Formats: sequence, C-alpha cells, structure tokens
Amino acid sequence: MEQGRFFSLSNVRKEFLTQRGERVAALDSVTFEAASGNLTCIVGPTGSGKSTLLRLIAGLETPDAGTVRVNGSAPVPSQGIGYLTQEHSLFPWLRVKDNIGLPFDVKGTMAEEKDKQIRNISIALGIADALERYPYELSGGMQKRTSLGRLIASGARCWLMDEPFSALDDRTAHQLQRLLLKIAAELGLTVLFVTHSIDEAVFLADRIIVLSAGPGRVVDIYDINIEHPRNRLSSEFGQFLEAIRCRIESVIDETG
Amino acid sequence: MKKKFRSLACWADSFSGKLLLGSFLPSLVLVAWWLAIRSGTAVVPTFGDVFRVLLHPFQVPPDLYSRSLAFSLMMTLLRFVIGFSLGVITAVPLGLWAARNRIVDRILYPVIQIARPINPIVLLPIATVIFGLSSIASVTIGGADAWKHDIWDQVQLAMIFILWWGAFFPVFLSTMSGVRSVRTAYLETMMLLGASRMLVLRKVIIPGALPSIAGGMRIALGVTWLVLIAAEIFPGTRSGIGYMLCTACKTSDYQYTFAAMIVIGLVGLLTDVLFFRLERSAGHWQSRER
Repeated sequence: MEQGRFFSLSNVRKEFLTQRGERVAALDSVTFEAASGNLTCIVGPTGSGKSTLLRLIAGLETPDAGTVRVNGSAPVPSQGIGYLTQEHSLFPWLRVKDNIGLPFDVKGTMAEEKDKQIRNISIALGIADALERYPYELSGGMQKRTSLGRLIASGARCWLMDEPFSALDDRTAHQLQRLLLKIAAELGLTVLFVTHSIDEAVFLADRIIVLSAGPGRVVDIYDINIEHPRNRLSSEFGQFLEAIRCRIESVIDETG
Repeated sequence: MKKKFRSLACWADSFSGKLLLGSFLPSLVLVAWWLAIRSGTAVVPTFGDVFRVLLHPFQVPPDLYSRSLAFSLMMTLLRFVIGFSLGVITAVPLGLWAARNRIVDRILYPVIQIARPINPIVLLPIATVIFGLSSIASVTIGGADAWKHDIWDQVQLAMIFILWWGAFFPVFLSTMSGVRSVRTAYLETMMLLGASRMLVLRKVIIPGALPSIAGGMRIALGVTWLVLIAAEIFPGTRSGIGYMLCTACKTSDYQYTFAAMIVIGLVGLLTDVLFFRLERSAGHWQSRER
C-alpha cells in the first residue's frame, strides 16, 4: 500500500475579524497528528472550528499562532491535497466528464489518455452513464460521486473532506461511506474527515478527534480498533458511539 | 381556480400563446393607426403606402434626398456593429482585469462613475469637434473601389465614438459584477489543483461570469441602438435609418417615416431576441445550480 502524507498541528490558534471589528477565535491551542494512510475523523459541536481546521491544513488559511505541517512542511494550496466540502463545488457549466477531467487539464494530459482515465474512474464510481450530463441534472449522490471522481483524477493522496455526505439521505450516505473506504484502501489515502455525525465517524475512522465548542480545542482522542467492514449493530460499535456522544454532550454542557 | 391559472400560464409559454399575446398590443397600434387614417389626418400614411415602401426596400425614394431603405438599414447596422463590437471588445477584458486587480479597480472607479451617467448623445457635438468629419475611409490607407469608399466614408469616427461610449459601460460593469459573483469555492478548487491563472480564467472566471456579461451586452444593445438612431438625425450624417426617418418628416413623405419606424422596431426586437437566447444559453446552469 502506497504511503500517504500525514498531518501535524501544534498549538494552532486561528482568529477571525467580525463586521464590528472584534477578534473571535475559531480555534485555540489545537494539537494533534493524523497518521499516514489512516482515516481520521474530526467531530464536535457546531462552531467548534472543524471547517477552519481543514482550511488551515489545505493552506487556504494561515494560523495566527502555532504550526501546521503536512508531511513536515507548511501547507500550500497546490501541494496536491484533495478537498471536498458539503457543497460539491462541481462547476455547473461543465459536464460530468469535464468536471472529472479538470485535474487532467491542469496537468496537460493528452486527450486520449485523459478520456481513458475519465472512463475508468466513472465506471469505478458507477457514473459512466452520466458523463454527458450537467451537475444540476444529477441527484445528490451522483454529484458526490462525481466530486470523488475529480479527487481521484487529481492524484492527491491526502483528502480533506468537510461534511461531504451530510446533505444526503442515510442510504445514499452509507453507500458513499463504503465507497470512500474502498477507495481509501485501494489508493492508500490519508483522509481527514469532518462530520457532525458520530455514527459516520465511528463507521469510517481509525481515529476520532473530539473538539470542544468554539474556540475549538482538542478535548479527546479515540482510536477505533474495530476491523473493517464495521457492523453498526455490533456492541463494540455501540460502545464507541455512546462514549463519544456522551463526551460531546458533556463538552456542550461545560460551555453551557 | 389555481388549476385554471396554472394552465393559462402554461398556454402563455406555448408558441401559440406567445404569438397571440405578443400580437395583442401591436394589434391595438394597428387599430389606432387605422382610426387615424379614417380621420383623414395628413401626417398618417395609409397601410398600403407604408407596405409599398417595405416591400420595395431597394427602391430609391423620389423627392427624398436619402438612399433606399435597404441601403439606409445597411449603413445603420454597419455603424451599430462596429460601435457595439468595439464597446464589447474593450469592456470585457478591462472588466475582467478590474474585477481581479484592486489597483486597476481603484484607478478606474472614479472615471467610470463620472463618465457613466453622461448620455452619449450629448457627447456627439464634442466628438465632432474632436474627430471632425473624419470617417473610417479617411483614416484607412490605400485606394478602394468608389462604392466601398462611399460606404466607409459614411461611417464617421465621431459616431463610432459615441456608440462605443453607449456600449462600453453596461458591458464593463456587468463583466465586473459577473466576475465578482463567481463563487470563491470554485476559485479555491482550482487553486488546490495547482491550476495556472490562464486556466482559471478559461475554465472558471469567464464561464462563471458569462451570464452576467451576456446580460450586460443585452442592455448595451438597447442603449447603442437608441443612441445610433438619434445620432443619425444630427447634421453631418448622410445616410441611415434615423436619417431617412428625419428627412422624410421634413419632406412630408410620412410613408418613409413610418416604414423607418417599423424597421427600427423590428430590428430592435430581433436583436433583443437573439441576445436573450445568447444570455439563456450562457446561463443555462444558473437557475438550476444547487
């Protein structure tokens, strides 16, 4: 299995300026590491700075204090990290095949090779019949699959995913979770996955990081040592679910 | 009741609905025209006189010192295409640049905001002073056939300038607005992929801003057309639909006046329909983006 990069944050603080000119901290003293080849989930109440954390690692924001390292270096946006948010960010004026093919356009791949790769990716994701459609003609699940296709095409071995499946129904979300695990295993990905669903986190993650309410701090880390494929009805699954749920509730209670 | 209303709305969108509803007001105009003819007023020509002019567009009007209807329309359209195209060609790149570069925006902002409200028509006398009666023929090099020279000699630089003025500002501002409305998430996606600036422009900014640009062009189209017809009435012009309309009034050849008005209206409608389709095609994804 190909080794991906790993993430390392040390005492990271990030503040934002409000309209009234006040400085509000989104993150405070965040320290953790995500191992290479692992899928790490970040959970926490609303406003705990989960999305900000991903943006710092992607290099789209810079910390006000502390260090963020991706494979030992400071993050820069074009370093080959894949990023997927709740909104699919597919370009609505491009067909599915052109959206998936975008990374190949960036790399300057020859047309024949590009078409072959797009075909292979779309077959693997079950969207081969939708290549000529526009994103607005797809269901939510198909849009996410197309977004995953673009991530695969980018060749990135580290993926940052910000609640990508939260807007989908349970059945579609579960299908995509299984698909993500399959892709991550095949490609040896390092994934940092933000979610507000503890069920999703326990199903996917090798490690779960719990953030406090804003400003976000790491309050607990859980290593999920259940073998894949995980059964949502198993007692181990239920125990982790309960433990993390209680921890988050206590975090919310502490902050009132 | 709701069902009835919904089916009426559906009918309005059908071909027959559009045709019938669109013909309603022109039909009233025709009725008013007919009543005016019946009243015997001298300034209102008969339907027959006007349609004779429309059906013989290449006929040079007697007793009227203007060219045929077809030639007049051709000159008007030629001026329009040149002025409008120059406006679009200069406005779009400048708008793209200003929207992405704060320094350029700061330099252009006061000038644009001061110049924008100035009606292009009021600039015509100033433009005539600056450009004189120079035309495209007078500034191009090399001998040309007499008929080509005759045509290009009637495309005056002063007129092209005010047409450019009329087209430039709506397109410039709509380009800026379109570029700024492109979602940051799209730009970040390209940034994360390591895309070059040119690729970001080609794949994201231009397509993302295109609906707004097309909308601006549609507005500019209407402004430019209005300005052009008015400018052709000014002294110094020797051809054009506006010129024909005005001279026909002076010589009381009202059938030419009415024919010219109908042509102006029809060309305005057709070009608007064309640009409406362009706008819709460019923005097919906008209303359905989710």
